Order: sequence, then structure tokens, then C-alpha cells
Amino acid sequence: MGEAILRVEGLVKSFGRRRAVDGLSFTVAPREIFGLLGPNGAGKSTTIGMLATLTRPDAGRIEIEGIDVAREPERVRPLLGYVPQELALYPALSARDNLAFFGRIYGLGGRKLAARVDEVLEVVGLRDRARDAVQTFSGGMMRRLNLAVGLVHAPKLLFLDEPTVGVDPQSRNFIFEHVLRLRDEGLTILYTSHYMEEVQRLCDRVAIVDEGQLLALDSPKALIAELGEGLLIIGLPPGGAEAVTACATTLNALGRVTMRDGLLYVEARRVNQALLELLDLCQVRQLGLRSLQVLEPSLESVFLRLTGKRLRD
Amino acid sequence: MFGRIAALARKDLRLFLRDVRGMILIFFMPFMFIVVMSLALRGSFGGGDEDAPIRVPGVVEDRGGLAGRVLADLDRIGGFEVETTRDGRPLDRAAAEALVTSGERAVALIFPSDFSAAIEAGPDETAGTAVVQVLTDPAASVQVVQPLVGTVRGLVERTVYLALVPRGVDWMIDWIAPDTAALRRSALRAVAQRAAAGVGEEGGRAPVRVERAAPAGMRVEELPDSFEQNVPGYTVFGIFWIVSLIAHSMHDERRQGTFRRLLVAPLGRGTMLVGKLVPYFLINLVQAAVMLGAASLLFDLDLGDSPAGLALVVAAAAAAASGLGVLVSSLARTEAQIGGLTTMLVLTMSAIGGCFVPRVVMPDWLRAAGLASPHAWALDGLQDILMRGYGFAEVLPRAGALLGFAALFFALGMWRFRFE
Repeated sequence: MGEAILRVEGLVKSFGRRRAVDGLSFTVAPREIFGLLGPNGAGKSTTIGMLATLTRPDAGRIEIEGIDVAREPERVRPLLGYVPQELALYPALSARDNLAFFGRIYGLGGRKLAARVDEVLEVVGLRDRARDAVQTFSGGMMRRLNLAVGLVHAPKLLFLDEPTVGVDPQSRNFIFEHVLRLRDEGLTILYTSHYMEEVQRLCDRVAIVDEGQLLALDSPKALIAELGEGLLIIGLPPGGAEAVTACATTLNALGRVTMRDGLLYVEARRVNQALLELLDLCQVRQLGLRSLQVLEPSLESVFLRLTGKRLRD
Repeated sequence: MFGRIAALARKDLRLFLRDVRGMILIFFMPFMFIVVMSLALRGSFGGGDEDAPIRVPGVVEDRGGLAGRVLADLDRIGGFEVETTRDGRPLDRAAAEALVTSGERAVALIFPSDFSAAIEAGPDETAGTAVVQVLTDPAASVQVVQPLVGTVRGLVERTVYLALVPRGVDWMIDWIAPDTAALRRSALRAVAQRAAAGVGEEGGRAPVRVERAAPAGMRVEELPDSFEQNVPGYTVFGIFWIVSLIAHSMHDERRQGTFRRLLVAPLGRGTMLVGKLVPYFLINLVQAAVMLGAASLLFDLDLGDSPAGLALVVAAAAAAASGLGVLVSSLARTEAQIGGLTTMLVLTMSAIGGCFVPRVVMPDWLRAAGLASPHAWALDGLQDILMRGYGFAEVLPRAGALLGFAALFFALGMWRFRFE
């Protein structure tokens, strides 16, 4: 991994009493797809808003290619591509007119603009609908055009904020394929989502956030590997969780054990062995099991272990 | 920066050209108001004209000839056309009432049977008073009725005066030279009557003539017709409907998320706003050019002697309208609010500004209140050029006031304006 293209340090943003982003720090390397994974309200869009110079942070520092974003936003904006969660297009204009307009705003013109518009339309598969008004497009097509507008000026860093919300499966796959292709062509991408499958499929590294805080940061594979073969969630009578936790280190099949809201979250190195060992322990301590869940290793399970909540509650 | 402003302007112009409702609002509606209101009020706004006189049915119940004389005098006055028959038959009271009730005529005159007798009785206090009735629909415009009542009163008084002159001559002769021969008495009566009517023994010279004049520096030509009177008012009315388009466009950009996208682009907020307003300013200029040009071609509107002055007033009015558009878009958060606020502001300002009814007929307090409307200044400016024959220098104060409104609206709007 080379020098970071994006550096975020101690980012804070509050709205009234609510702290939407609380001390977020991470870096993004060039040509990386970096994921921000978290449920609705975790602070992902607020973070993207600050990175894209839409809002100023209350504290913290953002650097893009070494430029301080808060001090010199106008230097940074030509480098950024922004694809907002909501569609941001002119429905009465054609796809070509939308792209040409935004291209001119970014300083493109003449033949260079025309060529770039054609190129981007080709990339998103809308070349044959270039002259049609956007209001005649399907939702998936609009999403693709929404992406195209973020690319028309050939940015170095692309922010994709939940790009597949409300999109049909075909268009979703189309977006996935093109995100990977864009990365391969040299673009750095910050991808936010609350869909674990997307992040797992696309991202080189993922930051798991909730309530504005960074909970974990690593590649999806490494984060999942921490769970071993699976995650066990066990409900025990009062005091039982503490008793099991105290003995957990002696059980070979168990990995990390955390307790939250009266439930035990157990990373199982070997699921079957871990179950037997736990049941044996409960039998000895005369602890009656109240609930038991066995979850396969996934980012969802990682999030559940970290927060006690599901990604899509 | 100019390239980006041009790109923003081009985009909004393109959107406008696809917006049929917007084009109807800006170009068609004000023009239709001009045509309809001018045709409807033709001949009645201020008393009629030679081309479209006010038609006045006259019912003569008079047993003498003096009522006919009054009506003949009225018919000779430009702007009135007297009708004493209908379908070949003399008009009676019932027919006159039917004409007024049905709305075919605004007024009718009814001369009673004792009209001539009452006049010829002279100062005899035992004689009754003849009452000439001006029959009107209570809903009729006072602008039609009052000039007619005044004119008829003047003509009746003149008729009374002329009818009494021979009597006066007789009284004087009886007093000074009661033995004067009948022939000489008759000749003296005729001389006195001619003199009273304004024609001396030499003939042809009226001692007094009343004519319309204008203050120094203003053009004194023909009276403007109803089109020339309505075009300035409804042009100003039309210019300010751009407020609706601006406010809706801003709302659409917020709702669509395109403002958010533009905020991330290498584009300052000031540049965004200027780029957003430039196309609507240009639309206003084209709108005014189309309306005034069409009025000139179709209705022979005289565009005055100062194209630069005309352009200045129109541009300053357009700037005020743009500022008002920003203010409305900063206050209204929904489409319904935009519609309500725009309608209320534009109609109220148009009304107190004199676009529909001349401010000169308003009470003093309302006329003063009209100065709080940019419409009043814009209308005065256009009238200065189109009707008063003023030039660029004379309309500078009006343009200055309009630019002041523009600055005020813009400042207030920017205080509350949000791009998201």
C-alpha cells in the first residue's frame, strides 16, 4: 500500500446534542476500494459529506492528496467524484445533456467533453439511451447515470454513498462490476453501504462504524477470520454469563468471549467442539441455557459481535 | 467562472424551453391580459374615443325640442354616440332599461316630458324641476358613468343658459325700451343668442377653448388608446411572474439533489446563484421585448424615443423580479407555499403598483403605499418612455429605485437562503 490518498484523523460532527461522527480516523490508499459499513444512522453519509466538502467537521482533519480539505476545499473538489445516495439528476434533460452540463461545471468543453461523455455513457451502458430524457429511465438506469455523472470529469477519488439502494438485481450487479473495473483502472473508491454482501464482495478494506465511532478496520477476510468457524450467542440466567466468561480461557475451542446486555458472544475456533465445551461447563455450573444461536462467519456476525445489533435492524 | 455561469444558464434555459407551463405563464398570460383588457375597456377607460365611442341610449319623453338639442350636442362630442332609436322605433324607457339590464349598454339617459317646459319657465319659482335620469347598472364602472354624468350636466346647463338668453333680452328691452319693434326685438334676441353660443356677428370664433396639455418636457400628442394604457401595466405584471419560475426552479434543485451535487463541484456558492439567476433575467428581457414588440406591431404602440431608457427600465425591473424570486425561494419550503406566496405578492404588488387600476384614482394613502411596490416604479418608468416622451436621464431615478428593491430583496433572501 502506497502513500494514502485520503487521510482522516479524529473527525467529529454533531447536530445539536447528537454526535453523528465521533472521532473517526482512517486512511485510504490509492487504487483501493475502501468500505464504510454500518447501519442506517451510523454516520456514514455524514462522513462522506465532510469528505466531499459539503459540510465542515466540528473537529478533526481531512487530507486528500496532502491537501487540507477544510482550508482549501476549492483545490480538492476537482479531484473528487461524488455519487450521492439520492439521485441527483435533471429529469427533464437527456442523459447526454446531464453529463455535458456537469462536465462543463468541472471545466471540460468542446470535443474533449463530447468524447468523455460518450466514453462514460459507454462505461455505464447507456449509450443507446443518450438522447432520452432521464425521466423515462428505469430506477436502475437512473442509478447508472447517477454514477456516470460522478465519473465524467475523471476524478481521482470517488465517493459512492449507498449506490445500490432501491436498485434491481441486474443493475446492482452492473454497478458491482463497474466499481471493480474502475478500481482496476486506477480509481480510488470510498464505498458506503449497510449491505454486508456488497462490502464483502467489493472492498479491499472495510471500516465498521456505528453511532459515529469506528469499531473495526481491516480487510473483510481478516475481520471474518477473527470469528473462527462461527459466532455463538448464548443466553444464560443472571450471573451465568460472568461465570462462563471467567472460565472461557480454559476452553480450547473458544476464541474471544464478550458479554453484552446479558448475552454471551463467543467466537468459536471450532463450532462443534465449542458447543460441547460450553454445554459441559453449563452442566457443571448448573446453568440452564435460555437461548442459543450459531451464526456462520460474516461481516454481519462481526457487526453483531461488536454492537449487539444487526446491520439491518 | 464565466464558463461555469454560462453552463448553469444554458442548462436552465434548456429546462425553461421544455417547460410549456412556464412559457405560457411568462409569454402568453400577460399578452392575453393586454389583449382582453384593452379590448374590453376600449372606449370606456376615461370616456371613450373616436374609434370606440361609448354608446348612450337616449329616451326623449320631452314634449319640447330641448332634450333633442342636448342629445345632439352630446353626440357631437368625440367619444359618445347617442342612440335614440332601436330597430327603427324610438327608444322608450322599457327598451332602455332592457339594454342596461342585459348589459348591452352601461348607461341610458331619460329626458322627462316636462324638460323643455321646465327650462322655458325660467326663474319662475312656481314651476317644477325636471329631472333627467341617468340609468345605470349599480355594478357599472364609475369610470364610465361619472364622465357621462358630468358631460350631460354641462350640456343641460348650457342648454338652459341658451334657452334663457332670449327671455333675458326680452326682459331687458321691456325694462329699457318697452316700445321696441317686434322685428328689432327678434334681431336683438338672435344676436344675443349667437353671442351666447360662442359665435359672434363675424362668425366662427369661440372665445374660449379647452384643450388637453402636458407638463413641461412631456410629449403632447394624441391621447393614448386602451392598448397603450394597458401595455405598460401588464408588461410589468408579466415581468414579475418570473418570481414563480425562479422559486420553483430553486425548489426543484433542492428536491432533486442537484444543488447538493453542485456544492461538491469546483463552483462557489455565489457563482452558483448568479448562474441560476442569469437565465431568468434574460428571459425577462426577451419577454418584455416580445410583449412591447408585439404591441407595437399589432396595436401601433409607440415605443417612445429612447430605446436605451426603455432597456434600462426593463432591465432594472427584471433585476427586482430576480431578487424577489430569491426571497420567495428562501421563505417557501414546499411547492404549495411557493404558489401561495408568489400569487399573493405578485398580485398585491401589481394591484397597489397601478398595473390594473391607475394609481391616480386611488386614495392618497393607497397611492403612497404603492411606492412600496417595485411595480409602481417600473410602471412609471415604462410610462415615462412610452407615453410621456421622456428619455434615459429622466428614468434614471425610477431605475435606481428598482435596483434598490433588487438589492433589498436579494439581501433578505440570502439571509435565509439554503442550498439544501
